[in-house]
Amino acid sequence: MDQSEIDALMTKGPAKAGKKGGAEAQAKPAGTVNPDDPQGHVISELDAVTAVTERETNKVMDQLDLISTLVGSQQTLITEVMRHPGAQDPAVQTAVNQLMAAGKEIQAKVYEAMDLMQFQDITRQKLERIVFHLRQIHDYIVDLLGTGLKSEGERASISRTITSTGTTPDEKRAHADSVVDEFKRSLNKD
Amino acid sequence: MKILIVDDSSTMRRIIINTLSRIGYTDVVEGEHGKAGLEKLAQGGVEMIITDWNMPEMDGLEFVQAVRTQNASIPILMVTTNAAKEDIVQALQAGVNNYVVKPFTPDTLKEKIESLLG
Repeated sequence: MDQSEIDALMTKGPAKAGKKGGAEAQAKPAGTVNPDDPQGHVISELDAVTAVTERETNKVMDQLDLISTLVGSQQTLITEVMRHPGAQDPAVQTAVNQLMAAGKEIQAKVYEAMDLMQFQDITRQKLERIVFHLRQIHDYIVDLLGTGLKSEGERASISRTITSTGTTPDEKRAHADSVVDEFKRSLNKD
Repeated sequence: MKILIVDDSSTMRRIIINTLSRIGYTDVVEGEHGKAGLEKLAQGGVEMIITDWNMPEMDGLEFVQAVRTQNASIPILMVTTNAAKEDIVQALQAGVNNYVVKPFTPDTLKEKIESLLG
């Protein structure tokens, strides 16, 4: 994200909506309701954050891909050098082997870094969950002001909807392999 | 072996493609949601599907159900952040063959793919 985008985000809201919804927003004083942006500026900003982090993560991935390619080229060159008659000296062989080992280690770290980029998708989904909560709260308050207090049944319904959307809270996380095994065993019994 | 990857996150698709290429699978097609996944599947040649759950247009569960109406045997692996027991069971009932919770390691993905193909 460059400075102009940061400035635009801080003053006028996101330049464009996120891919899972969100409308272009105009900055409004606190407490003002914008009829063109009923979900509010905060939600639009969160949408923009997810879009920007995905784009920037892909830029990091581009750089990691480039490092990986360069390391691959270096390994090829080192292999060529090792075939050269002048490289048969034991000291040279030792140094070249160390270079090869270092290259492999760099490659492994590059792959590890690529795998760690999964945080972007997980964070995005957590933000989407927050957006969902905010929309529910927004709708609930609007409804509350318009038609009075909701019944307990309706409150429970909203609660269930929130619980079943987005990433799973830590206390509800199950061990996938155990559940899959249990499910397959139950199918075999039937 | 052509593998279809369905995920709305371009980063995740890239990570999965990268992981697959490291374990020897380089023939990959991509879709950014369930509808796009069905279109790619209709083009033919796909022998395995890796799909996310939470996606716009058509989510992973609807996608799996749609696939199963036309293809009962193609292996489907769901890779998602949904980790609650009821979610996993719901996915299995829809026709998913195995399930991986994000974040995953390359070893986990390899193990699941090999067990589905083995």
